[in-house]
Amino acid sequence: MRVNPNFAPDILNDVFQSQAQEQTDLQELSTGRRVNLPSDNPTAFAADVQNQAEQSQTDQYLTNTTNLEGLFQTADSTMSSVVSALNQAISLGTEGSNGTLTLAQQQALAQQVQGIQSQMLQYANTSYEGSYIFGGTETTKPPFVADVTQVAGVSYQGNAGVNQVEIANGRSIQTNLPGSQIFLGSGGNVMASLQQLVNALSSGNTSAIGTATTAISASLNYVSTQRVFYGSALDQMNSNQSYLQTEEVNLQTQDSGLVAADMTAVATDLSQATTTHDAALAALAKVIPNSLLNYLQ
Amino acid sequence: MSSLSSSLWIAAGALQATEGALDVTSNNIANASTPGYSREQAVMTEQGAIQEGNLTYGQGVNLQQIQSIRDQVLSFQIALETQQQGSTQAQSSALQQVQGLFSSSTQGIGADFSAFFNSVSQLSTNPTSVPNRQAVLNAAQTLSGDFNQAATNLDSITSGLNQTVTQTVTQINGLTQQIAQLNGQVGTLQNEGKDPGVLLDQENQLISQLSQLTNVSEIQSGNGLTLTTGNGSPLVVGNQSFALQTSTNSSGNTSILSQGQDITSAISGGTLGGTIQVRDTVIPNVSSQLNNLASQFAASINSAQTSGYDLNGNKGAALFSVTPGAGAAASLKVAISDPSLIAASSDGTSGSNGNVANLLAVQNTALPGGATPGDTYTNLVAQVGNLTAQAQAENTASSSSLTQLNDQLGAISGVSIDEETTNLVNYQRDYEAAARVVTTVDALTQSVLQMGESAPTAP
Repeated sequence: MRVNPNFAPDILNDVFQSQAQEQTDLQELSTGRRVNLPSDNPTAFAADVQNQAEQSQTDQYLTNTTNLEGLFQTADSTMSSVVSALNQAISLGTEGSNGTLTLAQQQALAQQVQGIQSQMLQYANTSYEGSYIFGGTETTKPPFVADVTQVAGVSYQGNAGVNQVEIANGRSIQTNLPGSQIFLGSGGNVMASLQQLVNALSSGNTSAIGTATTAISASLNYVSTQRVFYGSALDQMNSNQSYLQTEEVNLQTQDSGLVAADMTAVATDLSQATTTHDAALAALAKVIPNSLLNYLQ
Repeated sequence: MSSLSSSLWIAAGALQATEGALDVTSNNIANASTPGYSREQAVMTEQGAIQEGNLTYGQGVNLQQIQSIRDQVLSFQIALETQQQGSTQAQSSALQQVQGLFSSSTQGIGADFSAFFNSVSQLSTNPTSVPNRQAVLNAAQTLSGDFNQAATNLDSITSGLNQTVTQTVTQINGLTQQIAQLNGQVGTLQNEGKDPGVLLDQENQLISQLSQLTNVSEIQSGNGLTLTTGNGSPLVVGNQSFALQTSTNSSGNTSILSQGQDITSAISGGTLGGTIQVRDTVIPNVSSQLNNLASQFAASINSAQTSGYDLNGNKGAALFSVTPGAGAAASLKVAISDPSLIAASSDGTSGSNGNVANLLAVQNTALPGGATPGDTYTNLVAQVGNLTAQAQAENTASSSSLTQLNDQLGAISGVSIDEETTNLVNYQRDYEAAARVVTTVDALTQSVLQMGESAPTAP
């Protein structure tokens, strides 16, 4: 049977093919990726694009969580200071109501409570990264200013708004309690009860001092329950962080499954391709000079 | 009657025939590597015989014909497969350029969407922060810039393809001119009952080159070969060629005219067919998906913007400007430069982030196109990847079947050096033997002549 006498193009084709395989393997080895272009595996590449988007979103959720953690820590430690200031006011009130003090001594105590009042004003006007944290959504001006015309001794310039921040896919968390709710709550009005105590101490009215001290105790209880909000928010940030970190690892694992090269397989493939290439070259070299002419003299 | 002189004539005829056969062999060897060459065979026949009494004397050999060995059916199949191969080759290389626009999973429009929504999410943690707001503007600018870049790149790929069309048409016209010329000569020879041999090889070779460029139909008719392209637009009829023309159509693309008629959409094979396929079907499709994505995304974000309030307490204004329709991706721009104009607030107070949720919702809400912005983009990437992979696979398949067909044709028409060497040795022996006959007859004639000159002397 007659065969195609010009088989060099066929062998050359084989040489090119093994060369192309070598190049592919080398690229996979050097990039560590099996899928480098959409056409390498359209489905995997598209899934990789999606996966990268999810990874970057998860990164952002982590950043949000870290930012909020700072905010919640500031708020929580402020609340803790509020609690100890109120405790201090209660002991001053208890001291002032025991009936053995002179008016002058009671008025001195009133001055101390006023000190606590101004401290409390400072706490209520705490800011984090340039924003007042107890002004509702009115965060650019101090939420509380001293105002003698008010029963509470302060007027509230903020609002009752709350913000939400997304910290995981489909999961948002409330990031603030309005200052009016914390410091001027109907269940325990911190500012008003302090003012009440100052008034009672200044006038030396022992039973009024007692009433005011009881009111402060009620405020203390109330503020402590409000503080739970920030405490639990902090806990949530911690658990959310570890959730997101796990999520990130999951996504990375998924992504490797989609596009990462199996290094061992690729290395084996490469050495195979090199062998094939060598063999094809050797065949080409051996076959080309061969013809009947070699044997005719 | 048999005689010494008739032997001499037979030997002379043998020498002539063998010389002719040596010529053929030499020509085959010379053209062993010429593309498109079909090997030739010296066809030797017995010369007629002479009857004399009971004896029949052969009259030697005759070199009757020099025949090219070819297979028209295989050549035809090769031409068809070449058209397919040319088309898939052109598609694959054009699509690889298009795919280049979508070839990173960590950069480009997809990643820009993520970065934009991340910056908005970051803003929600501190809505009054100017750096946070600036970051949103920057991300929006990167996104619109990448949309613009993609549109520009698609345009420049298209104009590259238009150049390919123009160049290919020029090549086609050059080839059809040469084919028409050869066709005339082949027709003349065939009418005279001669083997057009070499001319036919050249013609087949040119038709094969033409098949690389466009779809070609071959019809053999009374006045020789007719070649048509498209849906039967003539390229060559007999010894006449018909040039294709190009013109620029309303959308700025190069269209192909035959006899003044637009046949662009009828071209289906070869470089021309593949190029037109990508230019007129794939790229407009990709480009319209990008345009829809750009305008629908911009509209969704703008509508979320207007449902909120900016840092100054004013109703939110459009973040993006876009001209919907064909130029949307190219026209997408960020409409505001003042970071305070981003509408994060839902109630007009500066510290509110209530409207961020509306902006972020765009990320997970289906656009009118049916999928979220990110998914829409991902689908597009997958489509382009699929088309490219398909064109590459088809190209590989058609290249390998072309190799096979060429192998088959080579088995029939290819020059084998071994075969030619064998023939060469054979003809050499034949020639030497015939020459020996001549010398022998010569010696015999000498003897005959000497017979009359002198009687042999007794020793």
